[in-house]
Amino acid sequence: MLLRCRIPLPDFAVDIDASFDARVTSIFGPSGSGKTTILDAIAGLINVNEGEIEIDGRILFSSMRAINLSPQQRSIGYVPQEGALFPHLSVLQNVLFGSNRASGLTARARIETDHVLAVLEIANLLDRPITKLSGGEAQRVALARAVLSCPQLLLLDEPLAALDVALKEKILPYLSRVRDEFSIPMIYVTHNLSEVLALADWILMIRKGRLLAQGVPKDVLRSPDTIAQFAEEQLENVFAVMIIDADRVAGRTRVQLESGQELFVPYVAQAAGQAFQVRISPGDILISTKQPEGISAGNIIPGFIRRIGRSDGQAMVVVDAGAEFYVRLTASAVDKLELIEDHPVFLIMKTHSFRIL
Amino acid sequence: MFVTIETWQITLFSVAVALGSTLVILPFGIALAWIFARKEWPLKAIIETAVLLPLVMPPVSTGLILLEIFGRRSPVGEWLYDRGVEIVFNWKGVLIAMAVMSFPLLVRAARTSFSEVNPRLEQIAATLGASRWRIFFVITIPLAFRGIIAGSLLAFSRALGEFGATILLAGNIPGRTQTLSLAIFNYVQTGREHEAYTLLSITVMIAFASVWCSEWLLHSTKRT
Repeated sequence: MLLRCRIPLPDFAVDIDASFDARVTSIFGPSGSGKTTILDAIAGLINVNEGEIEIDGRILFSSMRAINLSPQQRSIGYVPQEGALFPHLSVLQNVLFGSNRASGLTARARIETDHVLAVLEIANLLDRPITKLSGGEAQRVALARAVLSCPQLLLLDEPLAALDVALKEKILPYLSRVRDEFSIPMIYVTHNLSEVLALADWILMIRKGRLLAQGVPKDVLRSPDTIAQFAEEQLENVFAVMIIDADRVAGRTRVQLESGQELFVPYVAQAAGQAFQVRISPGDILISTKQPEGISAGNIIPGFIRRIGRSDGQAMVVVDAGAEFYVRLTASAVDKLELIEDHPVFLIMKTHSFRIL
Repeated sequence: MFVTIETWQITLFSVAVALGSTLVILPFGIALAWIFARKEWPLKAIIETAVLLPLVMPPVSTGLILLEIFGRRSPVGEWLYDRGVEIVFNWKGVLIAMAVMSFPLLVRAARTSFSEVNPRLEQIAATLGASRWRIFFVITIPLAFRGIIAGSLLAFSRALGEFGATILLAGNIPGRTQTLSLAIFNYVQTGREHEAYTLLSITVMIAFASVWCSEWLLHSTKRT
């Protein structure tokens, strides 16, 4: 796909020049960086000043050749953040709304309705009014509606943003299934790192309408420039853990990371062996160059500094301590402690700084 | 209450013409309301004000303007007369006076409900391949439906109560152009107060029913 466009906005201009060919491309950036504007431009919902938008050699927009296909002609499935289901139609009518377009396709290109309903597990919702759907169900219906229009490209605008954390974890597998079952390329807009890592095989990092970096997510997210950007952004450490034991009297749960490293997180009433995710903000982690003593924090873990990224007096330090922990420090703290790569350090984390997902 | 054949005729004539005028303005009102709600152009406010003008102008003045437009000596009136259509002093005059006077009420109510339809829904429908007409009739109109019906009921009530513009354009001819309001005026003038009160009761009942329905619809729109 070729995406080259310039769109002036009140505060800044979106100016993107990218070319990619991936199953799932993630547009990643903080809120207000023009991500939705880019999707609207691809779908033909807003005017693009100049540029070219091309999918598989098919030109959707070209200012030079004076081509500007209407949203109807573009063959793009769009799942906006709020789902935008038609509230006066039933779930079934919503799901089949775009299937007219699909009826013009050959049997091979057509996606079977039953298959989509099964993959997204919404067959039991068909007679329900839209107003009676939960947030997660509504997103799955919106996804089914877009997939059943048999688009050439699927645009997902933060489909999980409106959902609470528990629900997010449940919907994410559905997105992976859509990715694996129907071979429709996807562009997935998000500002959540764990979603990028779970779904995308290409990432476009956007900030204030500009492309900062693009590439394979793991590489892009590890470059010092990117880490420096994270110093200013809302980023969270998310780890998959397994319960070793939950001690109600002590008020804490002992869990194990995939690497075997143990952590103490707040008490959860669950049995040993249960798996879940924990989250800690980079600002809630302290770094010490010596092993601290006489300190109340439940987690003191040794590790090594892997990378340090700096931006505007802020620094993001990546520490390998059984897993990669992102730690937010001021630039002066980095200087004062003389932190450099491969330096051994201790991470200090309060039990209560962890949140259970 | 003593209801004569004459009373029935007046009531039936008024309701029929008011209903006719509402049906006539409905497509234009919906189209204009949608344009006002969705499109922007320079000097839009002037057009909007002009459409709303009959709402605030003395109805007699509007009637006078209509008489100037449709009178037999005006170009429009003459053109119509040559084709066998006469507007002034017959039921068509009543219908036009009612239509013009009630049009702004329909446009205002429909415009508000069109504005409340999330444009994102129309955009998403477009990405799903729906034509403009399909989007309008399957998404926009159904979502604005209650407001449109409420506006139509208001317009109907306004048409039924029309007096000033009607008397100038169509006159007050019993059995020909006499509506409920014109007849009440006539009865009071000629001292037939009993008949006037009968017509008054009928007017109150019809007006109450339509305003009540309209309010109910508008409020249930807000609830959903």
